[in-house]
Amino acid sequence: MSKQSNMSILLKGLLRENPVFVLILGTCPTLATTTTVDGAFGMGLATMAVLVCSNIVISALRKFIPDTVRIPCYIVVIAGFVTIVQMLIQAFIPDLYATLGVYLALITVNCIILGRAEMFAGKNSVGKSALDGIGMGIGFTIALLAMAIIREVLGAGSFAGNEIPFLVENGLTISLLAKAPGGLLVYGLLIAVVNKITKGKLIKKKEFGCEGCPSAASCNGGCADTVKEGE
Amino acid sequence: MKNYIKSIISLTVICAVVAVALAATNYVTAPIIEKNAGAAANEALLVVMPDGGDFTAVDLTQYSLPESVVEAYNASNGGSVVKLTATGYGPDMIIMCGVNADGVVTGAVCLSSNETLGVEKTYGDTLKDATIDTIDGIATVSGATMTTENYRNAVKDAINTAIILGGGSADIRTPEQILADNLATALPAGEGAFTEVFICEKLENVSALYSADNGAGFVYVTTVNDEEIFVGVDANGAVVSEVADDVKANIEANAKIMLKSSLKEVDITKYADMPTNVDKAYKTNSGNYVLEIHASGFGINGDHYYNPSGEYIYIKIALTDKGEIITCQTIKQTETDGIGSVCADKEFYSQFNGKDESNYKDIDAITGATITTNGYKSGVGKAIEAVKIMEGVA
Amino acid sequence: MDVKALIIILMSSVLVDNYVLNRFLGICPFLGVSKKVNQSVGMGISVIFVMLVATAVTWPVQTYILDKLGLGYTQTIVFILVIASLVQFIEIFLKKYIPSLHQSLGVYLPLITTNCAVLGVTINNITDGYNFLESMVSSLGCGLGFLLAMVLFSGMRSRIEESDIPESFKGLPVTLVAASFISMAFFGFAGIVENLLA
Repeated sequence: MSKQSNMSILLKGLLRENPVFVLILGTCPTLATTTTVDGAFGMGLATMAVLVCSNIVISALRKFIPDTVRIPCYIVVIAGFVTIVQMLIQAFIPDLYATLGVYLALITVNCIILGRAEMFAGKNSVGKSALDGIGMGIGFTIALLAMAIIREVLGAGSFAGNEIPFLVENGLTISLLAKAPGGLLVYGLLIAVVNKITKGKLIKKKEFGCEGCPSAASCNGGCADTVKEGE
Repeated sequence: MKNYIKSIISLTVICAVVAVALAATNYVTAPIIEKNAGAAANEALLVVMPDGGDFTAVDLTQYSLPESVVEAYNASNGGSVVKLTATGYGPDMIIMCGVNADGVVTGAVCLSSNETLGVEKTYGDTLKDATIDTIDGIATVSGATMTTENYRNAVKDAINTAIILGGGSADIRTPEQILADNLATALPAGEGAFTEVFICEKLENVSALYSADNGAGFVYVTTVNDEEIFVGVDANGAVVSEVADDVKANIEANAKIMLKSSLKEVDITKYADMPTNVDKAYKTNSGNYVLEIHASGFGINGDHYYNPSGEYIYIKIALTDKGEIITCQTIKQTETDGIGSVCADKEFYSQFNGKDESNYKDIDAITGATITTNGYKSGVGKAIEAVKIMEGVA
Repeated sequence: MDVKALIIILMSSVLVDNYVLNRFLGICPFLGVSKKVNQSVGMGISVIFVMLVATAVTWPVQTYILDKLGLGYTQTIVFILVIASLVQFIEIFLKKYIPSLHQSLGVYLPLITTNCAVLGVTINNITDGYNFLESMVSSLGCGLGFLLAMVLFSGMRSRIEESDIPESFKGLPVTLVAASFISMAFFGFAGIVENLLA
């Protein structure tokens, strides 16, 4: 990773390295929490909070943490922040807590966070890591919102819980979109759109699987081996 | 080796710091979370008691309460909110009911039900403002009599619970206990062991008849001023309970009929047109008929009385020579447990009593078991037909 | 009656609440690995194995240690550490004592450490208030559901690879759309399970 200006670190997460549509990280919350705009927004912010905090702490400790145990250390730090965010949301925004359910705890294993810790925070300064966290967090939130707006407006005929009379009265909702298959469908279509706009430049070489998977670090390419073995 | 130790130390330190941070956050948020949970639970209870204030859960083991009570809460305004299950004929429902300090229902809602009618969603509103004295007078919903009756009984249990929690006393005996108590009071000589008698004679104002297992006598159930009273009769037909003279005269007249009653089997094979669902027929010396029939229930396809695999519902039915039903009783059935099996409940089959050819179909169907109900009705219809054949008027 | 409840838990976690297709847990390996049927089977079996072992450990940990000490709030962190160390331990054990099994399953194990399906199922078992037996059955069901989805999908993917698809849809997008169809098919199971034994 060559020298990057602070601005480009912040902005790259928005589109060029958008975690959801380009890096294809954090698929699970992207699909599961985007049935409503409220849920997606809450999930985006919660993830961003964890991402920024863990990025800061991990980059601050990057010289202190021995290489051999870095993954367990990262996981402890991330799980710690997730739990703190979880408790704060349960205390102050109980409705959101009920909406997100288990997916809040599962931020721990969100590929984005461990992925950024491994790919960026473990190698860069605190300031840059914080910017990276904010950028990625905003990119993640925007992506989730895009998914959720499509799914809630077209699927349930409402926006952030407010019914849109025009859609509901004329029966223009596609309830499938608000359900599980709709999540996969909308996600697939959106990635195709990003592909089209960028003419496939961004995602073209990124074979989904090993590179995007945070376990790649811990499994030392075991994943890649399997793929080769099978082919 | 040095790296090894360093790894362990750094991991341990990180774990320790994270643990401290978590404990600190928990210290701040735990009371708020607890308060939120309490507020949410409180809100649910406020639905049935808007001015209830705060609620505290009651330890149910401290009181003897109706069996249907699942949870109970004392409100800060002196009332109670009770959560109960309503079971029996029809669907199982969970009902939450608020009762204020004066024993007046402040609200009732059905929290869950496997009912499909929908009446349980609104019936609670009609029970609002009811008290223990007025609740039995509140009308049930026609077409859903059993469901609404269960609902009403559950709310009645809730009122009794609230009275008990408020320090009062209430009658919380189950219907079976009440029946046993009434029988024992009416005929002490029966020593508490009674069996219901199948009434095959047309009796004046008698809804049920029990005989003492030790042969000491009978208990007749009759209705006076809309109230059921239990009248004890000794083995010779003399009334032993303290009752008004006209009641006494009526019961003794009935007892006289019953004592004389005897059955004689009729050979049904000599009637060519006899419906095939009639298994046995008896005639009483007063000219009534007692038929043992079977009816097709759920799981029996095609022609009602052709049975490829399923089991029938067996029914005993007494009719007058004019085809009027005196008593109808389910003897044996293997219908779907909890749905069609309801045809074995007295609340169901006693609906046929007093009906005749013109109106025997006007009974409440069993919820979710239309086929069972229709099969049952059709069996009863054939019994009426059989009487006409035996009387030679068909 | 208990057996009936267990069967319902099993069937609904395999078919109705399928972790991959309905709850989107473990979707990364689902999309990433399921290209060949034999890989999918290997991954699926490893996931079942780890889910069962993880539940067997995390349920008692939650019930007898965390709840007793009032440390329920450390659930997430404790569970993920337990799962991570378990996976490490299993790998070392297999490598040393059952090398043949290690060769077929070992490669998948590290991938599972941060598989959200495993953490998800252990947390869900606690949230749903299952007892130990029910938790084990639910974990087995989730694992089987994962295996089922993986194997079904690998069959579909090998066909997609050979098809002529629009440029923009190549790779992940068409995979997601195909997954959406499978998910739709699984929707047909909703409502079946409760009535299966009624």
